[in-house]
Amino acid sequence: MNKETLQCKPAYRLLTLDQINRLHGATLELLETAGVRVLYPEAVDMLAAAGCRVKSDNIVLIPGDLVEACIQSAPSSITLYNRLGNEAMCLEGRRTYFGMGTDLIQTYDMESGRMRPSRLCDVANAARVADALPDIDFIGSYALPCDSPANLMYIDSFKTELENSVKPIFYTAAGSQDIRVIYEMAAAVMGGKDMLRKKPILIHYAEPLSPLTHSTGAIQKLFFCADNGIPVNYTPGMMSGATAPVTLAGAIALGNAEALSGIVLHQLRAKGAPIISGFGMSTFDMKTSACVYGCPEYRLALSACADLFHFYQIPMWGTAGVTDAHCIDPQASMEWTASLMTAALDGANLVHDVGYLGQGLVGHPAALVMCSEIISYVRRMVRGFEIDTEHLALDVIHDVGPQGDFISTNHTFDFFRKEHWQPHLCNRRILDNWQAAGEKTWADTALEKTREILADHRPIPLSSDVLSSLNALRQQAETDLKHTRFES
Amino acid sequence: MSLEQLSKFVEDGESDSARELAETLLVNGANPIEMIEMLTRTMAHVGELFAKLDIFLPEIMMAGDALGGVVKVLGPYLEKAGGRQCKGKVVIGVVKGDLHEIGKNIVKLLLETSGFVVKDLGYDVDPLTFVKEAETMGADFIASSSLMTTTMPRQKEIIEILKDKGIRDKFKVVIGGAPTSQLWADKIGADLYCYDAKSAPERMVSILETSH
Ligand code: B12
Repeated sequence: MNKETLQCKPAYRLLTLDQINRLHGATLELLETAGVRVLYPEAVDMLAAAGCRVKSDNIVLIPGDLVEACIQSAPSSITLYNRLGNEAMCLEGRRTYFGMGTDLIQTYDMESGRMRPSRLCDVANAARVADALPDIDFIGSYALPCDSPANLMYIDSFKTELENSVKPIFYTAAGSQDIRVIYEMAAAVMGGKDMLRKKPILIHYAEPLSPLTHSTGAIQKLFFCADNGIPVNYTPGMMSGATAPVTLAGAIALGNAEALSGIVLHQLRAKGAPIISGFGMSTFDMKTSACVYGCPEYRLALSACADLFHFYQIPMWGTAGVTDAHCIDPQASMEWTASLMTAALDGANLVHDVGYLGQGLVGHPAALVMCSEIISYVRRMVRGFEIDTEHLALDVIHDVGPQGDFISTNHTFDFFRKEHWQPHLCNRRILDNWQAAGEKTWADTALEKTREILADHRPIPLSSDVLSSLNALRQQAETDLKHTRFES
Repeated sequence: MSLEQLSKFVEDGESDSARELAETLLVNGANPIEMIEMLTRTMAHVGELFAKLDIFLPEIMMAGDALGGVVKVLGPYLEKAGGRQCKGKVVIGVVKGDLHEIGKNIVKLLLETSGFVVKDLGYDVDPLTFVKEAETMGADFIASSSLMTTTMPRQKEIIEILKDKGIRDKFKVVIGGAPTSQLWADKIGADLYCYDAKSAPERMVSILETSH
């Protein structure tokens, strides 16, 4: 037996190859017959020059062979670095990395315990907490700083994230003006644009407009990243039943058409430039009109998405650690766990939105701590186990014999740390001790841990030179962007 | 076949049957004003069921469609009887820079099904366009939706333009969208903020009434 077969690893595949081909075929058919609406004239010209048919109303029909060629030219592996220049994530195959989403407009205040509009200090807190958490691989603004000047929100977020964590940053931008400032900030940290291109520390997150539309603003940001070799995550966020078919297969074909047409736009602009693709599919709740993040259908669509993008060999985006609960409660735990577990089993690469509450509108620093714990658990699960001689341990069993115990064997001593997961926070005290320690719930201990991190964790600081460059860029942006109207 | 049956067809969203029955009833001399009053009550009932989460959005949409069909048939009869009623005229859109339009679409739908006449300006709408379209339509309401804190200031600009033109009093300004709030409405001087689409029709009717 070779080494592979001695390692047993849980993994989930939803689609058979036939099913992948059927969905892929449906996607190509959509792109060739329904096409996509492209609102940026420069992009329409580019597509026309590449052999697409342009109909009235900026509808562009994309031939299948062009789609296939662009799938081929997109890289299969993208490496991200932390701001110290060390490799942090290698997005490829079934490797899974977890991190935050962006732009939550409400945050629970750690002092009052109440929800209020998010502030820049919440971006700082989230980054600092995530910096300390071993199972959060990349960061995002998490909160949207409503106390920053409207045109500088994304710039302020990015700068604050750099100041409070070394981890790679997944970020949004309002348009082509602030995305440039953010890029310059990242370059300042890495010692220039060339260095940044070699060792990217950031991933931009832009979205097409479901159904079947690429807006001017989104394409401008996509092109900016393509031109500068910045990894970009270009993925539609559908709502099944509202902006996408209510049937999952239809939504998947639609989302895939939006994603693949995004890859075409990106690869035609800069062949071989790094792009992360995929699609998200919340459901639109027909009673409350809510956009539902925690539903099982979202997980199914993402599992299908993972299978499709593994097939295309293009790094794939995921969404997990999300819930529709508005506070930290058992529903949140359930939806966080189900989604994180599925993402890991799917082998999704860049899994964002960890710690989201309230249908993508609410954050809580302790949610990050709890999700990190769940990720740790999930990672133990998907690591599986080995069944080689040492792990089968027949000799040990033989030595111990009937009615003996394994506690004192060397074998136990050698392996217990690796084989058994150790929680950081979950309760494992026996009843009496738990009662004596104040009957704390997991949420209580997570809150305590969050306070501890916020009080004690000091992220590796930026050099004073870099800091002053960032300050100067921020100051310049304040004047330059004062009257900017971003293109939507 | 009766008005009750018609009401049932509308409630169940059976457009074709509703339209056909309405035609038959009208030809046979049914009172169009009675009919529209009845159907208004039906839609109010459907709206209540929806607000209580007893029925689903597609169901209220189908009912709305069915009602729309009947209203078309009713139109000429109502005009003759002088009883066409409209609860108010609304221009609605999503503000400049914002592409999130599902919320706005739902508001529009619920307004239409409850008897408002609505002009939909779509998404990414310039503040000046809201005002111009409202003037052209002779609207009672300017309703704007914003889903992003970054685009909320455009709601304020609508009000500023109205003030600049000296026509602030001519329109009721209604705002909505997930990040907006009563606080924001107060700050920019909007007349009404609605947390969700369901509450909008009733509250819009009531602010129009209090101002008359
Ligand atoms: C779906 C969605 C999208 C879709 C929109 C598709 C479409 N055709 O509409 C797509 C994928 C295109 C999208 C794009 C983006 N999005 Co978006 N999106 C959402 C999401 C998940 C759901 C919105 C929704 O439709 N909800 C369901 C509807 C029914 O609810 P609603 O709109 O709130 O409307 C209800 C009420 O508010 C009220 N109402 C609404 N309008 C009005 C108006 C009046 C007059 C009245 C009376 C009532 C009323 O009635 C409705 C029914 O009850 C939200 C998160 C959320 N849960 O809100 C993020 C969210 C709004 N998006 C966000 C962001 C950041 C973006 C992007 C910048 C992402 C990116 N990386 O590019 C882009 C921006 C594009 C642009 N320029 O507008 C942020 C906004 C943060 C902020 N700045 O404030 C949010 C909050 C998510 C997040 N935390 O990141 N998004």
